Amino acid sequence: MRYTETIGRHVVSTSTAVTIGVIENVLVEPVEQRVVALALGKTAGSHRMLPWGQIAAFGADAVTVAGDDVLVTDGRLTALDGKDHAILGKQVLTTEGYRVGSVSDVEFDAADGHVLSLLLDTYQWDGRLLLGVGSYAVMVRPQQIQAPEGLAPASQPRPY
Amino acid sequence: MSTLLRASELAKLPVVTFAGEAVGQIKDIVYAADGGQVNAFTLAGRGLFAGPLNTAVPWKDVVGLGPDAMVIESEKVVVPTGDVLAPATTSSGGGGNVLRSRVLTDQGTALGVVNDVIIGIAGQGAQADVIGYEIEPAETLGRGRQRLLIPLPDTLAASGENLVVPAAASQYLTDDLARFGSVVDSFRSQLSAPTGAASNNPAQRSAAPTSAAGQ
Repeated sequence: MRYTETIGRHVVSTSTAVTIGVIENVLVEPVEQRVVALALGKTAGSHRMLPWGQIAAFGADAVTVAGDDVLVTDGRLTALDGKDHAILGKQVLTTEGYRVGSVSDVEFDAADGHVLSLLLDTYQWDGRLLLGVGSYAVMVRPQQIQAPEGLAPASQPRPY
Repeated sequence: MSTLLRASELAKLPVVTFAGEAVGQIKDIVYAADGGQVNAFTLAGRGLFAGPLNTAVPWKDVVGLGPDAMVIESEKVVVPTGDVLAPATTSSGGGGNVLRSRVLTDQGTALGVVNDVIIGIAGQGAQADVIGYEIEPAETLGRGRQRLLIPLPDTLAASGENLVVPAAASQYLTDDLARFGSVVDSFRSQLSAPTGAASNNPAQRSAAPTSAAGQ
């Protein structure tokens, strides 16, 4: 499942058949390399965070939950929803100090929420190498880069 | 030498934690007292009007140093500048200044004035070794005004005024940074096995300066 495909999808309660909100953001806990919650818009009450554990199914057309009282308000989740922890569009640095691009999309496992890969401008980065998401950059551990034809691998030291 | 870096290119590099936060930028490089290694980096705040932070990162806590950032695990490794400065020299101010120091051979010939420091990093977890200087050559060298690279031995005497190098170093002057790593390697292997290969007569060298491995 891709981050960009998820945004705007409806979240429906299976007990009442009511749409309880629309997905506005997918919250990734970088230390666990996992999606921990969805931030919803157009909710009835003031709570707008849907913890991953409350999701009944991540379907092709909608996300289903058991009831309409599953939303919470949580300080850590609100922080992850902020601009500093946003992943999309942010530059990516390896721990070796190389900039390898910026994030165009995030691929995650719809069954358990694990981040499978980060899609950069030119590279696909293994999600297990994700280290942190901060206001300056998305940090990743280095990986062997399969460069597209005609592009030099970015992991090799540049000539000085 | 897998990576060669000019010290001047490191200044202003952002210092970023694993969490993706920039804690500052590199302000200055602190060298060991013998000038042979990088001991630490002092930090400045990021942005146009940010000043020095009076903090530093010891080399042992640097995870990665690349063209786009210096990476540390967390802000916990940042220490007060005083902790790293005591027995060391920096490239500008405090202790002793390497830049603008005069490079003198042990035979008493002035080779030039230090313009930049070349740092070599052999690989992950390795020492950041000062392997050479970029110098503005002294007129007496007869090499014109083009800046030259001079290889250094593992350790050397530095006072903040003069840097004393073995006379043989003047035979390895080059202007090619791409090949400088191998120049340094051959210079150092010659130093460790001095079997009369190098001339010890400074007059002979200044009359006909050569660049044995550089060209």
